[in-house]
Amino acid sequence: MEEHNSVNFMRLLSEESTLSALSSDSCEYYQTEIFDQLPSIQASRPEQDRQGLWEACEAHQGGPESGERISHGHLSRGPKDKAFTQPLRSLVMCLQGKRDARYRRKMQISNIDFWESWRRSQSINRKRVWAQMGGALSDLLPWQHTLHTIEGRFGVGVKAYFVFLRYLVYLNLLHCALVWAFILGPTTFYGRSNSSEPLKFGGKDSVLDFFHGSGYLDRSPLFFGFYTRGSLNLLCLNTPLLYLAGMLIILFLSLILVVRRTTVGFKHTWMLGKRYSMYVSYKIFCGWDFTIQDPAAASLKHCFIRNDLKLFLEEESFSVREALRTLGERVRLYLLRFVLNLIVLSLLGGAFYLIYFATITAQKESGHYWLVSLVLQYLPPITITFVNLLLPHMFRKISSFEDYSFTMQVNATLVRSIFLKLASLGIYLFFIFTTEHRQYPFHCRENRFGREMYKLCIFNFLATFCNVFLLNYPRKLLQEKYPSSLLARLLGKQRFLIPFKVLDLVYSQTVSWVGVYYCPLLPLIGAVTLMATFYIQKFTVLRCCVAEQRMFRGSSSSVLFHFMLLLGLLMAATTLGFNLYQLEATPDQNMSSCGPFGNGETVFNVTGVCVNSLPRPAQTTLRYLASEAFALPLILAEILILTSYVSRGRANQKAIERLKDMLVMSSSDKRFLVKQHATMLRRGRKPHRVCSAAIEEDAPPQTLEAPPALQAY
Amino acid sequence: MGNKQTIFTDEQLDAYQDCTFFTRKEILRLHGRYHELAPHLVPMDYTNDPDCKLPLALIVNMPELKENPFCSRIVESFSEDGFGNLSFNEFVDMFSVLSEMAPRELKAIYAFKIYDFNVDNYLCKEDLEKTLNRLTKEELTPEEVQLVCEKAIEEADLDGDSKLSYADFENMITRAPDFLSTFHIRI
Repeated sequence: MEEHNSVNFMRLLSEESTLSALSSDSCEYYQTEIFDQLPSIQASRPEQDRQGLWEACEAHQGGPESGERISHGHLSRGPKDKAFTQPLRSLVMCLQGKRDARYRRKMQISNIDFWESWRRSQSINRKRVWAQMGGALSDLLPWQHTLHTIEGRFGVGVKAYFVFLRYLVYLNLLHCALVWAFILGPTTFYGRSNSSEPLKFGGKDSVLDFFHGSGYLDRSPLFFGFYTRGSLNLLCLNTPLLYLAGMLIILFLSLILVVRRTTVGFKHTWMLGKRYSMYVSYKIFCGWDFTIQDPAAASLKHCFIRNDLKLFLEEESFSVREALRTLGERVRLYLLRFVLNLIVLSLLGGAFYLIYFATITAQKESGHYWLVSLVLQYLPPITITFVNLLLPHMFRKISSFEDYSFTMQVNATLVRSIFLKLASLGIYLFFIFTTEHRQYPFHCRENRFGREMYKLCIFNFLATFCNVFLLNYPRKLLQEKYPSSLLARLLGKQRFLIPFKVLDLVYSQTVSWVGVYYCPLLPLIGAVTLMATFYIQKFTVLRCCVAEQRMFRGSSSSVLFHFMLLLGLLMAATTLGFNLYQLEATPDQNMSSCGPFGNGETVFNVTGVCVNSLPRPAQTTLRYLASEAFALPLILAEILILTSYVSRGRANQKAIERLKDMLVMSSSDKRFLVKQHATMLRRGRKPHRVCSAAIEEDAPPQTLEAPPALQAY
Repeated sequence: MGNKQTIFTDEQLDAYQDCTFFTRKEILRLHGRYHELAPHLVPMDYTNDPDCKLPLALIVNMPELKENPFCSRIVESFSEDGFGNLSFNEFVDMFSVLSEMAPRELKAIYAFKIYDFNVDNYLCKEDLEKTLNRLTKEELTPEEVQLVCEKAIEEADLDGDSKLSYADFENMITRAPDFLSTFHIRI
């Protein structure tokens, strides 16, 4: 119809203007009738019908007959069963159309046999029940309302921090349950050995013991030394073995959960990688949060989006600038970066030396005033916290000189801070190991170690608490009451810096993992402190902070944090393995006199006894699994499998590239042919008006639809 | 439950429950919200399917939609006449699709309709520019807007016609990690 309108119009123009109109890529291409007849356009309609999603509103609006035609087509085909169980709600129709579809389905149900209709109504009821259960469960999740409020006021990034915190609380509660099942439970029911000290508050105990971790707490279930072999004394089921099994299961389960979370996030990042970078389209189409109702939050969101796009444009112009750097500039830049990295390394070295110094000083404590001895005991955690507070800000300053793009700067600072946090913990553990056993050879080492971890945990929490109530809140009060004072202007408004807060969380979780073997109740302490931290941080965010103007790039940094969690877990496992290995390697020097492996037993003794008691085939299998003859082929097989996946991935990538090119080519072929066809049609009509009837008869079937107006000539 | 409500028949409520993602209570609550937008126009008794439509101006004043830069486009894409006059059926349909329980495919279809300003079944550069201007309240310079739109089309356009068809849009949106969490309205 549009065709013959344009033909009428075209006839008045000269040849040249006809040609020029055709050569431009106008909307005309999409309005030609041949375009409607193209197989790909025809296929996209019934195919979507078959899937049941595109029971198009247009079809419905086009008249009930067309809708009926499509649905009758449904009824006559096989896959109608699937179409019937497609929920009505997911159909893309106006509500009236859905109600008609529902009516038709009901009519259909009355025409089929009893079992079929019963099955269908059952599946409908089941779906309703599932939906209700899902809704009830999600209401039960704690802190949902708080998270909703925070999301509305501060955006998705800050909410992600709190969601991560809640996830860690769940993890710690799971650990507590496992500890209770494997360690506390057997000890409660089957008792401890007769030679263990009673759990009473007396003698030289004081309240300070709760901070030192000695005295009363030393004898309590908090530490390793409490869990001695009690009345549960079978060969393969005794307290030490259960203790070991519990710890291994905790670490293994954490590994599985963290890896699962990392890979989910990683898949997103990988797909957002260089070749598939969809940043800008996401920003435009998924940028606006439709749940916003508050005008302040709305203007904040507009700000976010604008800043995000400006950041993107900045990065584009940065990459252009980077490409235009001359050789001399490049050499100077690399030299500068080398020097700055040396500064970073020296800062790190200085921090590690400080920690070493603090560890040595703390061990020298003897008979001071109680406050001084408390401070000395806590000197290593204080140093570590101080270092971790100060150095990341210095790293941030340094990275601003290195002339990277903004995201690269943030990532560089993050990587350095992560390294600092993990390495400071690792160095501290190393110093405890190496300097400790010379001092107290037969003291309970594990308790001592657990004590250090306990102190770290307690001090972390105290630091967070003091940070908020002694620094952040007064700063906010100062901002409010005296906004024009020098101090207020110097400090500026407070922002909730998400990366550093998440780093703190991951660090505390790492401490919990490292210490769980020596201090089984540490997950419980961890869960309680995390819950308290939730409320403290909620106070910080809602009362003390102003919204961060620059948007936090959620997906890619979260992979970094989960990776750091994984590293922390690895460090915990390595520490444990190293400790056990040391025990095995020098048994006489490290005879522990406490805990499940006291009285001259070691881990390997106890497991050896159990393995020996198993039947012969099981023994042989276990010995084989633990030997090198099994480990090496396993590693080889894993390498082979990995290589095959990587090469398959690369081949798929190449195939995708080729298919994309093919798609572009076919699409332009299609456009070219349609244009040629349209050109030929027009040329065929214009000069041969007189013989139009003759041409009509000779014309190929496609032009049968040629407008009837021409036949009048 | 035996609640004596006279707004809808039981059959109608069942139909609504099956055709939308809402429960009976929520449908009644929605009717209350629809009614309070124009108490004189909207009848309390819907048992005989009255033909009552509310204009665009009333609907976009709802607190859930007011701050949304695409509020008028949302209402227009759910209205049958294309001008934003919603009957109660369309009103419920709109909030059903935008609720948390609607699947991704359904939301993607309507998102495409919403962003298609000139309703030609393609997201062309002008559509993108209008979207961007509404998102940033026109605070970007025209050159910046051009750059961003070109980059967006370059990223998502698979068949090389410098427009986004529904297939291009769907391919892009299924990979977006936060599409589902941003594209919903709670009522």
